Amino acid sequence: MRSRLLSLLLLPALLLLAAVFVYPLLRYGWLSVHASSVLTGLLPVPNGGANWQRLADDARFWKDAGQTLRFAFCSVALELAGGLALALWLHRPRRGRGLLRALALLPWALPTTVMALGWRWILNDPHGPLNAVLRSFGADSYAFLSTPATTWFFVVLSDVWKTLPFVALLLLAGLQTIPADLEEALRLEGASRRQILVRLTLPLLMPYLSLALLFRLAQSLGVFDLIQVLTGGGPAGSTESLALYAYLNAMRFLDFGYAATVTLATFLLLLVLLGGGWLLLRRLGGARAQESAA
Amino acid sequence: MAARATPPSLRRPQVVLCLLAATLLLLLPAYGFSGRSEATPQPIPVRVLMPAPLADAVAAPAARFNALHPGVRLTVTRGPLDTETLSDLAISGLLLGDAPFDLLLVDVSWLAKYAAAGWLLPLEDWFGPEVLAAMEPGARLGNALGDHLWRMPLTGDTGLLYWRTDLMPRPPRDTDELVAIAQDLQRRGRVRWGYLWQGRQYEGLSCVMVEVLQAFGARWWDPAAASTRLDTPQAVAAATWLDGLIRDGVTPKAVAGFAENEALQSFAAGEAAFLRNWPYAWREIEKGDGPVKGKVGVTTMVAAPGQQGGGTLGTWGLSLIRGTPHPQEAVEVIRWLTGPEVQRQLALEQGYAPTWSRLYEEADLQQRLPLLAVQRQALQHPQLRPMTPAYAQLSDLLARQVNGLLTAQERPAEAMASAQRQSLQVLRSLAGPPALATAGR
Repeated sequence: MRSRLLSLLLLPALLLLAAVFVYPLLRYGWLSVHASSVLTGLLPVPNGGANWQRLADDARFWKDAGQTLRFAFCSVALELAGGLALALWLHRPRRGRGLLRALALLPWALPTTVMALGWRWILNDPHGPLNAVLRSFGADSYAFLSTPATTWFFVVLSDVWKTLPFVALLLLAGLQTIPADLEEALRLEGASRRQILVRLTLPLLMPYLSLALLFRLAQSLGVFDLIQVLTGGGPAGSTESLALYAYLNAMRFLDFGYAATVTLATFLLLLVLLGGGWLLLRRLGGARAQESAA
Repeated sequence: MAARATPPSLRRPQVVLCLLAATLLLLLPAYGFSGRSEATPQPIPVRVLMPAPLADAVAAPAARFNALHPGVRLTVTRGPLDTETLSDLAISGLLLGDAPFDLLLVDVSWLAKYAAAGWLLPLEDWFGPEVLAAMEPGARLGNALGDHLWRMPLTGDTGLLYWRTDLMPRPPRDTDELVAIAQDLQRRGRVRWGYLWQGRQYEGLSCVMVEVLQAFGARWWDPAAASTRLDTPQAVAAATWLDGLIRDGVTPKAVAGFAENEALQSFAAGEAAFLRNWPYAWREIEKGDGPVKGKVGVTTMVAAPGQQGGGTLGTWGLSLIRGTPHPQEAVEVIRWLTGPEVQRQLALEQGYAPTWSRLYEEADLQQRLPLLAVQRQALQHPQLRPMTPAYAQLSDLLARQVNGLLTAQERPAEAMASAQRQSLQVLRSLAGPPALATAGR
């Protein structure tokens, strides 16, 4: 009885989910086995596995996949480490803590497009502020956005700069759920600060850390606006992400069949990664639980 | 903890509000049409989408059109300035099937794609072949495809070479002279850089490449074979020359991140001897109070000794959108906006090159527009970008390869061979099995 009522109550939510999530996926799946481009007058014409065959041979897709993964791992790792440090620092009682927290959140509140335009100006050669600083030290101005290595570095840096406050805030919320008397008790037992961090804070923060990890990983694997505005995927395609490639295929090249294939492949990649991450976290959590039980 | 992550949840009501507002805005005109009563005849609406600067430029002619045609209500929508962004916006509207505009100002590089997608209505029923015959040779190109006329040209802009009249007695005659003059001026400390152009990974770099390929006797596109020719010795020579400009310090490394405006800013600040840009740059330089004001000459694109140079065609024209409820009135708008009267005003006020030959012969215009003679000359040997529906892909990968060359990721021969290989791949994959390529037609 009760379970029937429950499933009935769940139905609207499930229908909504199906409409906005399952239907697009099915539609992409269907499109990905069709040619639908300017050469077919945008009408879908079945082409078997030709799109998937092309994807397998598409060096640009795999290069972009590598670049997207590298970007996601580097920026999320930096954000988690930096966010944790910032959260611990903000958690400490001090004067003006509220103001500091508000200030720390500022980059997160900026729209990505505005932020990316700002960075593009900062890095401008030779008129940008960063080059003005370089020149004031007697150095020559540097074309930061014309060199793959520096461009990549600043793409990661600007992403970390923007989203680190978000991670910090999430972790700060977690820190506030840890009862102060636990820390007090450990300190009375003579534990060092490092021991408190490793034995108490981090394990209790684990759910928040994994949440931040999954959130950020999902977001950064789909990175689009930052790269579109800051570099347009350049120089020489060295910062192009999978989302940007899918967008180009759909909106610029009007190749909807292949765009659907790229999007679906990206989704599958994301699924595997997030699933793997989740399993890994669960195993880590399990190991820790056993350890503390022992 | 969910309450802690305030920013996203704060935004949600705003997003919903925006979506609601957008839906209402989209619904309103539709409601307006259906609710129209027969008793009070409303003027027939004709909507045009244009990049903002051109929309501003035709605001006065549009008002005059409305005054002359009380039965039609012409509205001009200001779209984004950047060509590709405007195309993205237009395509979003066209894909939904019911575009919020009846006419679109189409860049020459989009035409084949839009026509193939079936978004345009042919214009030959309204404009006969004699119409284009009254235009300059360059302005005639890029409007017709197959057996149809898809667009009426409004501007006849081409790529031009800007030079400093205070630094040299006359412009260079060929690419060798250009480099020699630039290096000499750099050695003597008169300018920091020799030659500035657009090297960012975007459509502008493809425009530069069209000119450089032409300058060395190479061709990007072979219309007869419907294929690319990017790995010929001439094409490699062109790429080598462009790469050499950066390696020899004639062009700064930063050019690999330059679009039109970055290059113009640096040239207008007096930092360089030469600049490749569109006609608008001249007005920008002259209207300010910069160090090079009154010291800039404009000439047609130079080529290697013994070759014929030519500027890339960057023309805009009006196209009729399929599905417009009022094609007849929309065509009247095309006739008016692309007519000599409006083009004369665009030339005088904004510096856009006219397309009608007779405007170039008017003494008044010749006197008031110092660029007019050069613009006409440039329209005699214009360079058309490949007219194929696959152009966007081909241009994207060429710009990507050449940008890789400029940022020293690859050598010229490798870059061009790779660009050719990828172009063939794109053309093959788009065409698919022969039976499929035509199935949708």
